Amino acid sequence: MKRLLLVPALLACLCAASLPASPAWGADVVHFYNWTEYLPDAVLKKFTKETGIKVVYSTYESNEAMYAKLKMLGGQGYDLVVPSAYFVSRMRREGMLLPLDRALLPNWKNLDPDLLDKPFDPGNVYSVPYNWGGTGIAVDTTKVKAESITSLADLWKPEFKNALVLNDDLRDVFGMALKRLGYSQNETDPARIEEAYRALRELLPNVRTFNSDSPKMPFLNREVAAGAIWNGEAYQAQAEMKSLAFIWPREGGLFWMDLLVIPKAAKNPVAAHTLINFLLRPDVAMMICEELGYPTPNLAARQLLPVALRNNKTVYPPADVVAKSEFQSDVGEAVQVYDEFWNRLKAGN
Amino acid sequence: MAARPSDRSLFRTLAVGGVMAWLLVFVAAPNLLVLGASLASRGEAEFLALPLSLHSYGHLLSPLFAGVFADSFVLAAGTTLLCLVVGYPFAYILARLPRARLPKARPLLLLLVIIPFWTNSLIRTYALVFILKTEGLLNDLLLGLGLASEPLSLLYTDTAVFVGLTYTLLPFMILPLYASIEKLDERLLEAARDLGASRPRVFWRITVPLTAPGIAAGCMLVFLPSFCLFYIPDILGGAKTLLVGNFIKNQFLSARDWPLGSAASMLLTAVMALLAVVRLKLSPLAGEKVRR
Repeated sequence: MKRLLLVPALLACLCAASLPASPAWGADVVHFYNWTEYLPDAVLKKFTKETGIKVVYSTYESNEAMYAKLKMLGGQGYDLVVPSAYFVSRMRREGMLLPLDRALLPNWKNLDPDLLDKPFDPGNVYSVPYNWGGTGIAVDTTKVKAESITSLADLWKPEFKNALVLNDDLRDVFGMALKRLGYSQNETDPARIEEAYRALRELLPNVRTFNSDSPKMPFLNREVAAGAIWNGEAYQAQAEMKSLAFIWPREGGLFWMDLLVIPKAAKNPVAAHTLINFLLRPDVAMMICEELGYPTPNLAARQLLPVALRNNKTVYPPADVVAKSEFQSDVGEAVQVYDEFWNRLKAGN
Repeated sequence: MAARPSDRSLFRTLAVGGVMAWLLVFVAAPNLLVLGASLASRGEAEFLALPLSLHSYGHLLSPLFAGVFADSFVLAAGTTLLCLVVGYPFAYILARLPRARLPKARPLLLLLVIIPFWTNSLIRTYALVFILKTEGLLNDLLLGLGLASEPLSLLYTDTAVFVGLTYTLLPFMILPLYASIEKLDERLLEAARDLGASRPRVFWRITVPLTAPGIAAGCMLVFLPSFCLFYIPDILGGAKTLLVGNFIKNQFLSARDWPLGSAASMLLTAVMALLAVVRLKLSPLAGEKVRR
């Protein structure tokens, strides 16, 4: 019997060893939980240098992981997190967020009014736009001519057999298939989601890898010829790989927005406000945009950007693309339908 | 220096009590929590809700989960076999190194088996990406030596997943094997040779049965984790295949169906318990036969 118990005990050790260490506690400390590769180190150093507030920084690679952790901890443990719009609406509905104190955010005035007051958070009571961006098509032009790709449907071509990278994100992958079929990326009708699933089954032989930690890596490793990845990832990859082209498909991009929010049970909401206000400063927002290549919602920062970056079509989709594109939003309980088909897709049945 | 009986019984109480408390807190309690969660219902705003039901276990009978389980089983069985084929000769040579002539070789080699544990397995998996990728170390080597005329496409294939799982779990096979081979009484082998048994016959009739407990322990330690190491197919296999581990992870994170994830996890625990029982029933018999 004892030996029988030894095995799970060893397994428990194995699991425990792979968990990250928990952050430390302190008075002048702000706990910032952000997406991976979503903030230049220099920004945090600058913040600590100017304000004396220490930042304990940790990262996640999916909204779901962040949400589950926050929910488990009862909203404690972090002072600032960066959910996507559709998770802001969920967290707001579930009372997980602290209303923002605008008096502590004088830099609010820099934000683009076009990106404020959206249905997921009317009046921006709880959330501040951090970055937005979109999924489009990236192509390695040493393998495929960029001109030959104009539409999401091109990814279904047989010549891309075993040569694509897609984000390992069910909303992104299904959104792409739905757009290709002419539907909204926020579809909740199970019949249409199933139709998208069938289209994805046909696409699967072309998929070499799913990757959302760092979708640019398969391009840099020369493992893929094309793929549907985030514009910022493509911009970052272009710095190392001149042959990478980024194309906004005819159907429009799949846009999303990530927003800064303070969990209701945050230990240090004042420092979190200080950090938000710092991130809203034009020079800081500019640093972030220059390094990440995601469009900044900060109008003042955009004016500061070098002309080449401001007019970069990968970073800033042209007006005709914006007109055709839509932002990702919450699909409510339909997430279970998506998940069922996502699992079936991955399990191959 | 004999301890007084009362001291010894105190020590025994403390030692046994400590171990039992440890098992209670870190083994029994978490498993009971998972069992409880598996019986709850899925909630929209909360992770777990009432009423209690066996609904999640019913869900495990769906063709979707059966397919995932079957795929994982093949992958886990393959990995176990690979680890055994690679690990047994290694453990055997390690345990049979002449102690007198090479006193330092054995501890050194054991240390080399254990050293990878000092690095996070996720980091070691990413390191494998750099070895296996099209322009990676392995292809450079093969091309440089003229063993391949064009780069092999290894990354994001099942082969890469097997390599990753075998590499990560090999020490779990080697260590129990080493422990049981080292205990092997060499006089038994000499006696068998004296009585005219050929080397292969000695191996199959004496060595294998006597080291069967090590083989069984090693196989269990490899088989079960290979169901669950979801990050290896994610990173090396291109996240195209679902393991039971990926399925469980998805239930907890993306689908927010904790009862179903817990039920799948309980199923793995049950499989493991079953294997443990089979092993306890079989391995003493294997030893018995030889001793007679």
